[in-house]
Amino acid sequence: MPVTGLRRQIAQVGKDANTEAIAVAFYDYETRTGWSVHEDRWFHAASTIKVPVLLGVFDAIEQGRFALDSRVHVRNRFLSAVDDTPFRVESGRDANTAVHAALGKTMKIKDLARHMIVTSSNLATNLLVEIVGLAQIQRTLKEHDLDGGIEFNRGVEDEIAYEAGINNRVTAQGLLRTLRLIEEKQAISADASERMLEILHGQEFRSGIPAGLPDEARVANKTGEISTVAHDAGIVYLPNREPYVLVVLTEWQPSANRRHSTIAHISRAVFDHLMEGDEDE
Amino acid sequence: MSDVPLPVVDALLLPPRVRDLLRPDGLMPDREGRARRLPRFFYQVDSWQQALSCRLTENFALWEFMDVDVREPQVLREWPRYVPCAVTLLAAHLELFREAVGTFVHISANGGYRSPSHQRAPAANPHCWAAAADIYRIGDTYLHDRDTIDRFSRIAVDRIASLNARPYGHEAGTVDDHIHLDLGYLTLVPREAGSEDEPKQQRAEVSEQLRSGAKTVVAVKEARE
Repeated sequence: MPVTGLRRQIAQVGKDANTEAIAVAFYDYETRTGWSVHEDRWFHAASTIKVPVLLGVFDAIEQGRFALDSRVHVRNRFLSAVDDTPFRVESGRDANTAVHAALGKTMKIKDLARHMIVTSSNLATNLLVEIVGLAQIQRTLKEHDLDGGIEFNRGVEDEIAYEAGINNRVTAQGLLRTLRLIEEKQAISADASERMLEILHGQEFRSGIPAGLPDEARVANKTGEISTVAHDAGIVYLPNREPYVLVVLTEWQPSANRRHSTIAHISRAVFDHLMEGDEDE
Repeated sequence: MSDVPLPVVDALLLPPRVRDLLRPDGLMPDREGRARRLPRFFYQVDSWQQALSCRLTENFALWEFMDVDVREPQVLREWPRYVPCAVTLLAAHLELFREAVGTFVHISANGGYRSPSHQRAPAANPHCWAAAADIYRIGDTYLHDRDTIDRFSRIAVDRIASLNARPYGHEAGTVDDHIHLDLGYLTLVPREAGSEDEPKQQRAEVSEQLRSGAKTVVAVKEARE
């Protein structure tokens, strides 16, 4: 399938599912080529922002501020980025219960990092953002030249900030660059990149990019979903071939469904395109 | 020898890397700017296992007052660790509180002893004396609403005259996700503790080691000479 066909196919998938917007970007290490559509359009990041947070955590570890085994007090009380009003992460809305169960105790940073990614724990995310610091994470993104495609402005579930229009945003290009840094062992350090990759491989949400792939595919990915967006960004490993990085960002009406299957369809279309070996635009 | 099976140490005689962070006998201003003198005599705890096995009362063990996170400087998270001797009195008061509520009382991480170098100790507070406890859960009840916090705080201060509780609120000096009970700036000097009048030479050495940065050091020197 030529790339114009891929572009048409993605547009058709989006139209059939009534998406408000779609952005797709991939980079294939087998052919050393990339392709994208609407790659610079900004989307609410939802939980995909947790990958940049992960970078910030490993950067702080690299700087010696703490270690993976350092312990953090699990406390469900955070201050809004707008006015320091305290807020909590609602346990009923959080996909992870293990971190909530540790309330009042401590957890290791490596365990919080894993929960932040593999079960998308919002509580773990905010604890890590608090301990690393918002400004530090922003610095990490800038130092990795990611700030042009990733805007990190607050922790998650900060409703006051949301109402004030202060959000975390990503572009497909921004997330693609982030995952490429990790895959190329350029994110913080080679060792840190490998550890981050290991965490991403533990992902438990598999209904997006992985669902569109054959069983033998391994995917290190991070999903993100709120009422108006559904995303997936991952590195796809297939037998006898170099991996490729794929980012699919979608925007929806709050009442829409078929979100995950739409991402899976796009994942399949990209897979078919790459397996057919057509050249990129 | 006290009933606590741990050696009592004069923290003024500890190695500088530890002493500088514990700031024994130094003055630390509280939130209102009033100087408070930090404790000087500490129990030495050699391992987490020892903290786990050391019972201060029937229902409280030493480890519950020592569970800190990465906000405590790394040096103070290494063994041996040091806890002000007042921790025994705090535990005794919490035992009375436990009797009053009739169920388990859970002290939070960072909720027992916090050194004056802990990131959550911008000003003197009784945690730096091991004379305060943050309790996040009583029995199966998590303390994160006004009614629950007010109810248990009231039980504490009504039943045990020497306990203070912070009011519910969101500002500094108030609480909204735990109850804070304290005995004020309480110090305890066990009978086996060394003399509080150490040789001048030793004091001078301590002052020299701590001089760089600290009004507290000047205060210590002035107070003793």
